[in-house]
Amino acid sequence: MIRCLIVALLIISFKSYGAIIDVRLEIKSGTLNLVSGTPIPYKVFTQQSGFPNNSDLLIWEVGDQINLTVVNADSVLHGFTLDSYVSFPSIAVSDSSYQSFTLNNAGVYRYYDPINSPYNEYLGLAGIVHIKNVGDNVPYFYWDVREHQSDWNDTIIQAFNPDLNFYTPDYFTINGNSNPDINNDPTARVVGANGSEFRIVIVNNGLSIHSMHFHGYHFISIADSKYMTGRNKDTFPIYPKDHLVLSCVPDKGGEYPVHDHNLVAVTGGQVYANGIFTTMLIAP
Amino acid sequence: MKHLIYILFISLSITTNAQIDYTKLIIGRNTGLKTFYNGDSTRIFGFAESLGEAIDIPGPTIRITEGDSVMIDFWNVSQGAPHTIHLHGLDVDQQNDGVPALSFTVGHMDHGFYVFKAPHPGTYLYHCHVVSSIHVQAGMYGVMIVEPSSGTNVVWNGGEAFDRDLLLTTSEIDTLWHNPDVLLHDTTMGAMIMVPETFEPQFYLVNGITETNLADPLNHHYVGLNEKVYIRSSNIGYMGVRHIFPSSLLAKTISSDGRPLPTEVSSDTVELHPGERFGTLIQVGTDSIYPITTEFFDLNTQNVMSTQTSYIHTSAASIIDLPEPTISVYPNPSHTGIFHITGDLEQAYHIYDSIGRILQSSQDNTFDLSDQSKGIYIMRYQDRLIKLINY
Repeated sequence: MIRCLIVALLIISFKSYGAIIDVRLEIKSGTLNLVSGTPIPYKVFTQQSGFPNNSDLLIWEVGDQINLTVVNADSVLHGFTLDSYVSFPSIAVSDSSYQSFTLNNAGVYRYYDPINSPYNEYLGLAGIVHIKNVGDNVPYFYWDVREHQSDWNDTIIQAFNPDLNFYTPDYFTINGNSNPDINNDPTARVVGANGSEFRIVIVNNGLSIHSMHFHGYHFISIADSKYMTGRNKDTFPIYPKDHLVLSCVPDKGGEYPVHDHNLVAVTGGQVYANGIFTTMLIAP
Repeated sequence: MKHLIYILFISLSITTNAQIDYTKLIIGRNTGLKTFYNGDSTRIFGFAESLGEAIDIPGPTIRITEGDSVMIDFWNVSQGAPHTIHLHGLDVDQQNDGVPALSFTVGHMDHGFYVFKAPHPGTYLYHCHVVSSIHVQAGMYGVMIVEPSSGTNVVWNGGEAFDRDLLLTTSEIDTLWHNPDVLLHDTTMGAMIMVPETFEPQFYLVNGITETNLADPLNHHYVGLNEKVYIRSSNIGYMGVRHIFPSSLLAKTISSDGRPLPTEVSSDTVELHPGERFGTLIQVGTDSIYPITTEFFDLNTQNVMSTQTSYIHTSAASIIDLPEPTISVYPNPSHTGIFHITGDLEQAYHIYDSIGRILQSSQDNTFDLSDQSKGIYIMRYQDRLIKLINY
């Protein structure tokens, strides 16, 4: 079901050059089921009828005209910001905001709820927009990296903001999934072939720093919101609210892990290795 | 049966050994004891180069040469869990990657052979990847250095030359993670393995030592005047690390993770996150003792949790407050690397290198450093120190 929704979303999002795209994002409350089975209160921006594990990934192209409506279907005040393009400082309960805009610059952007920062973003109200250049046919994979302190979500929902100095997350996710479920998400799970370039877009929508280590290959950063681009590394740190675009041309086939090298973040609910751990599958 | 397979494997290895330029034996053990500056101690896992050598943190530094075909002969003498060696950053193929289920594990008293070609010159890590959250914290890690094919004292072929390299390897220890009920986890494939609820280290390590041990002259990094020094920093801990060099050392970071940076970075501060490595050149200009401040910061809060200070010490600067030894060593300096001792040796002495690692322990009246690189070494005898110069 999730795969169908993702495929549908990708089909909707990919349009020819200069396409007019209607996007209706709803702010919804629901629950995220952690890898242990524990549900925690969660919120998302989504075009989907159900409640996904993560705010929607939006893939557009330079030149597209976006007609964006954001609907607050939650029970408290929210806002919406798409860096460089849109700012709705507040959207009342059951109300909506609208803006039409044209995409001028390729790149990776964050959208998020600016209200009660960073707690509403922590609760799930932040996502990825990738504006691709026309004709960019390189395969991309997308990682919205987060972590969760499972006893915080109820507290924040009840309008109490915990002290960030005592943040000790116990679950760690990519696109809302932990190992082994990350490999079931075709948006996240890298599948490639020897000699063929692929790219990974990584956005940190959590509160912690993550340090992503790749087995088997070095990657080159072609976009990095914190460090110089062009770094050729096997381990890339990513700070909260930052993004990376990494490129790799595999030189061999095989199945190679990628994981956070903060090895606490490889666990989930104290269980090894139920955290940020996935594998890249490269055909020879 | 196991022995037959082993013999068969060795036979096959010998037949292909014509292609192996360098073989290194690494032993994995589960029964180490780490003692800290305050007398506290905790059980550790770790690596050693021989059965007679006690394991320590970090494990032995392995130096290989760019382009060489290398075989790591990993012998698990752990009395317990299977182990592996993951060659972190070396981009080896899946078979040799050391990740259970995707590669192979090595059981107690078994050997595992990791074969690869040494890639780009630089600083890498090796560590066990079995339940890595536990086994790395337990101490199963070390640094691997690939030296350029053109020589040992250049950063890479055609790159800058340096006089010596020094390691800054950072990690932490939370002794709660070293309790037997954590370390001696279920080894059944597919078993649910739990880690402690929190990670709150009591000890923040630079090259395996901390606090007052870093201030001990035995553990200073000794360098020559006007030397250019290549700092190989690596972070195998679960926190962020920030090394801050004195501005007079003109720190310039030129590489990371075994590759040149696109642009060198002139900054006194080098920040490392778990799994990262950096190469930084410094220039020692005047006789002095230079402090290197290392901040460990929490990755969740970015709060600094500990600050440690280690020291770079020029050879001409005096070693502070050394008691007079009851023995003497000659010749010192020695150009042959052979040193003789006069006086009665009532107990063993120990020879340390510039980062405080024991090279030899003996009660003989002669010791040999000819196989060691030129530089400063320290002899410890009955809590008295003698500076040795091997030139």
